[in-house]
Amino acid sequence: MSYEVLDHTADVKFRVRGRTLPEAFAEAARAVCETMAPNCMPEGIVRRIEVESEDTESLLADFLSEILFLSDAESIAFCSFEVEIRGNRLAALCRGEEFRREKHGGGAEIKGISYSGLSIYREGEIYVLDIIVDV
Amino acid sequence: MGEGIKKITDLEWEVPVGFTPGMRVPGRFFLSELLRKSLEPGAIQQLANVATMPGIVKYALAMPDIHWGYGFPIGGVAAFDISTGVISPGGVGFDINCGVRLLATPLSVQDLKNRRELVERLYQAVPTGVGAKADLRLSGRELEEMMLAGSRWAVEHGYGIPGDIARCEEQGAMKGVDTAGVSQKARQRGFPQSGTLGSGNHFLEIQEVKEIYDPKAASIFGISQGQITVMIHCGSRGLGHQVCTDHLRVLESATKKYGIQLPDRQLACAPVTSPEGKAYFGGMAAAANYAWANRQMITDTTRKVLAELYGIAYEEMPLVYDVAHNVAKMEVHTVDGKEMQVCVHRKGATRAFGPGSPDLPSEFAETGQPVIIPGSMGTPSFLLCGTAVAMEKTFGSTCHGAGRVTSRTQAKKDVRGKDIRDQLAREGIIVRAPSEASIAEEAPQVYKPSEEVVRVVDALGISRLVAKLVPLGVIKG
Repeated sequence: MSYEVLDHTADVKFRVRGRTLPEAFAEAARAVCETMAPNCMPEGIVRRIEVESEDTESLLADFLSEILFLSDAESIAFCSFEVEIRGNRLAALCRGEEFRREKHGGGAEIKGISYSGLSIYREGEIYVLDIIVDV
Repeated sequence: MGEGIKKITDLEWEVPVGFTPGMRVPGRFFLSELLRKSLEPGAIQQLANVATMPGIVKYALAMPDIHWGYGFPIGGVAAFDISTGVISPGGVGFDINCGVRLLATPLSVQDLKNRRELVERLYQAVPTGVGAKADLRLSGRELEEMMLAGSRWAVEHGYGIPGDIARCEEQGAMKGVDTAGVSQKARQRGFPQSGTLGSGNHFLEIQEVKEIYDPKAASIFGISQGQITVMIHCGSRGLGHQVCTDHLRVLESATKKYGIQLPDRQLACAPVTSPEGKAYFGGMAAAANYAWANRQMITDTTRKVLAELYGIAYEEMPLVYDVAHNVAKMEVHTVDGKEMQVCVHRKGATRAFGPGSPDLPSEFAETGQPVIIPGSMGTPSFLLCGTAVAMEKTFGSTCHGAGRVTSRTQAKKDVRGKDIRDQLAREGIIVRAPSEASIAEEAPQVYKPSEEVVRVVDALGISRLVAKLVPLGVIKG
């Protein structure tokens, strides 16, 4: 599991890899959350997310959008994710801690997950996700 | 760079129909030779994609600060026929009514002796950065009223003076709001964030009026040489982001329902007259009004800090103007000699209505509306005015800023936040931000030169230079 941040002029582009699709989704969530709130530890807070979407790309966008919502609305820094995917349904356990400016501040707020440039493909056995987010 | 586009005049370039399948109209770029050099292939493709959308009128337009975004390019403008065209969140962006306002003060640079203290006090007073919350907790009803009345709500609740309202685009409140288009999730995000700046390229800047190009217009706008001004750049915060996210999902399905073929899913759209299109417009207008109230509340905080520190009156700091640069509007424009109702999308573009426009307050009847173009951190910002040429050429639109040329990732590799902070301090500009990384990401060199962008819009005549404003202190989100 890994992610890298690629060049994109105005926004942020992630390339995420995982051995399975759920693992890649979990890593994508970590990329998004680490950008917004660095230095998080999975301590104390657990939230369950369930999403159903039209296709796998939408499932990824909807899952990450749900994380953006929870992080913002409930002031949570997330950093650890367990993801299950069945067809176009996803369930995830998201762990983190209460957002504190002195510990997690200084990141970049992600405004949304874009469909432009969003793609899911395989490199041999590895699942790769490309995601552009608006910051 | 810029393969596939052809030169029309020294400052106009075209991406022809056929560049990408399904283009209904050509794309027009307004660029100098210098700016064309930094035009990315991704931005050309995105403008061509916009030209495929149903009901697009005349051209897909790109302002000189164009760059690669998502959906529309940043700096993109497109008008769609209200009866046959579409509306798209991809033509507005996640940060609905991200915009900028300019505040005048009676101070001059000699009055700002304790500038570091001013910057520090503003930084403490205005909630800034990721996770920042306001002290104010709105009730459900207050949020509802704020989304309906925008700036007026804020002024009536003690966050401004009556004169502020007329000095906002749309008088600080778009009509056609339907708060049913704002989900509970969006509201939940909106409650604690009114009066907060946000992060990224959002800022609050103390500036000095360094040069006046048009004394008459400057005088009408209340601006004079040597004067201290304050510029505020922010948007609709989590509420607006959620409105975009929610409607994008609905419009994705609507695109299929109405049989619309698109080259990019982020351009998801629906006919302006469809239930889905109307619901998005109603929710977007609500978020736009939230943004105007938000900027008004930050204005109130700023005025209080300045009043206390310098012993000046709150009322001595009038609003010059407030413009939106991410929004879709129903407007009437003359197309090929005929009046036409269109839905104009401006994504990273500013309205620039010319003299005599019925939408402007009478005080700007002669000058056209004030247009505020922020520079990047440490570079000049500009005050311009709208023109008749903009009404003819660009559906009354102009650029919105400098436009990025370097990614945030590259910026952090190239420069260190501390070095930028020190370099700006040597130039007399004090910067306060939540982290060094956020300074590096917004370093002056990652943007196109703001001077060149405004030179081009002025030369084209789509807006006219009035004054140059240079930074003295910056609070970054």
